[in-house]
Amino acid sequence: MPRRSSLPVTFVVPTLVILLTLSMVPTLYAIIIALQNRELSSTTYSWVWFSNFVDLFSDRRFLNAVWVSVKWEIVTVVATMVVAVGLGVLMFEVAGPRLRNLYCLLFIIPVLLPRVSAAFVWKFAYHPLYGIATYPYRLLTGGLIFDPLSKPSTALFAVASVDVWQWGLFFGVIVLKLLETLPPQPIEAARLDHAKRWQIHAYVTLPMLKAPLVSLMFVKMIESLRSFDLIYVMTRGGPGVATETLDMYAFSQGFIESGKVSYASAMAVLMMIATVITFTMLWKRVQA
Amino acid sequence: MRAGRLIGRIVLAFAGFMAVFPLAWTALNALKNNVDIITRVPRLVFTPTLANINYIIGRDSVLTGLYNSVVACGSAVLIGVVLGLPAAYAVARYPNRWAGDIQFFVLSLRFLPPVAVAIPLMVIWLQIGLYDTLPALIVTYCLLTISVIMWLAIPAFQAVPKEIEEAAFVDGYGAYSVFWRIALPVAARSLAGAVAFSFVLVWNEFLIALMLSSSNAKTLPIVASELSQQGMNVPWGILNASVVLLSLPPLLFLGVLSGFLNSVFRQKKT
Repeated sequence: MPRRSSLPVTFVVPTLVILLTLSMVPTLYAIIIALQNRELSSTTYSWVWFSNFVDLFSDRRFLNAVWVSVKWEIVTVVATMVVAVGLGVLMFEVAGPRLRNLYCLLFIIPVLLPRVSAAFVWKFAYHPLYGIATYPYRLLTGGLIFDPLSKPSTALFAVASVDVWQWGLFFGVIVLKLLETLPPQPIEAARLDHAKRWQIHAYVTLPMLKAPLVSLMFVKMIESLRSFDLIYVMTRGGPGVATETLDMYAFSQGFIESGKVSYASAMAVLMMIATVITFTMLWKRVQA
Repeated sequence: MRAGRLIGRIVLAFAGFMAVFPLAWTALNALKNNVDIITRVPRLVFTPTLANINYIIGRDSVLTGLYNSVVACGSAVLIGVVLGLPAAYAVARYPNRWAGDIQFFVLSLRFLPPVAVAIPLMVIWLQIGLYDTLPALIVTYCLLTISVIMWLAIPAFQAVPKEIEEAAFVDGYGAYSVFWRIALPVAARSLAGAVAFSFVLVWNEFLIALMLSSSNAKTLPIVASELSQQGMNVPWGILNASVVLLSLPPLLFLGVLSGFLNSVFRQKKT
């Protein structure tokens, strides 16, 4: 590579300046709005400093939303990784090259769908009377009604299942590709020692893949933050507040119910601080 | 052992079935009359109708949504390519002490909760008078496309054998023509995957579009979600048809993206 070229500067600087502007302006503005008392309905506002944040911590709906968001993260991340590792190992064990290619293609389809589409597809499927997913239940129980989306105890899991449908299958493909990159010798050695198939994976292959699997989980944690589309279409945060995550609550405070933009922004700022700190720390650990 | 393999095959086949069946069922429902959808026992045999699809593609709101989606996503991806690819190449080939920080910064843009970006942008666009316009949406989406294209294109450029580029320098090519004539064509396949991925990402984007549009700049996902808010009075067939229309463009990229996945992992192997 030539040492003295203007290329790095002309290629990187404009892009970085634009990215910095596009990200820092909204971020700083979000903080400014959070310190004011803007509402959608009026054009006047004043500085209220931290009172929005103080109010948040005595708002029980906010605390509920924090808890729902945490539950959502844990459920979707864990279930996705379990499904992905299970399917990846299964494909590695029982499918030949041609079947593997077919499954890989099929398993990528759900994740390509717009979240709105996926949400609709499953909202229809979960319909208590006419849904295709609730049909086996109606058939087996002789017509009893099961409505997973409107029961507080099942709604979150029903929505999470759509997320896992999209990401778990897709990550299964990646786990398979990772398994295929492993050198065959350690697996052969374990086989010669009469290790069972599941033992080979539990003690040899998966530990060898620890680093990429952790990165994969990291990616899923970031993507799980984007739950809004699914929840908005499928339950709107309901029944009650059973599936009301932080972004759903911020949206309804800011735009549906009261138009309290500043209050919503305060919530968004807290989310931003929490995610940036958590993920920066996690990223440094993953890289180390 | 035999039984175990059989069970494994069955589980796998079931998973494959689950991957496509819900979508296929939606597509079937798009071809049904309402009486064939609202049945307690799902109907596989029915007289197909094109009424739902005709209704959907004949509606102005859907066509406007389609137009907005194509223009907004197309422009944002184009700007992402123009700004993202060169920057990614420079980071990949001329690493300096900030290269790691730049990569982390680009990734960290993905940590930002979309609400946290959308609320202030809405206020900003309202003040400038660009709220509910396509330019506002395009500028906002550029943040997404530039960062994603950069993030995926850096490893793609790094995978281009250095020797080819060095040979070109020896032949008297300048730094810019090496980028144009060597690096871009050699990495083209992986780059196409990265670009396709960024397109799918903005095409599927919902929250930002929802908050930045009220009537003129609605994208297709917003229009589709609004159809359902008219309660269950809307014939289900029409809703299903709109879901199918919305899902088709990303699925067109299925081949490109699965090829991209394969090439990423083949690189790791060697």
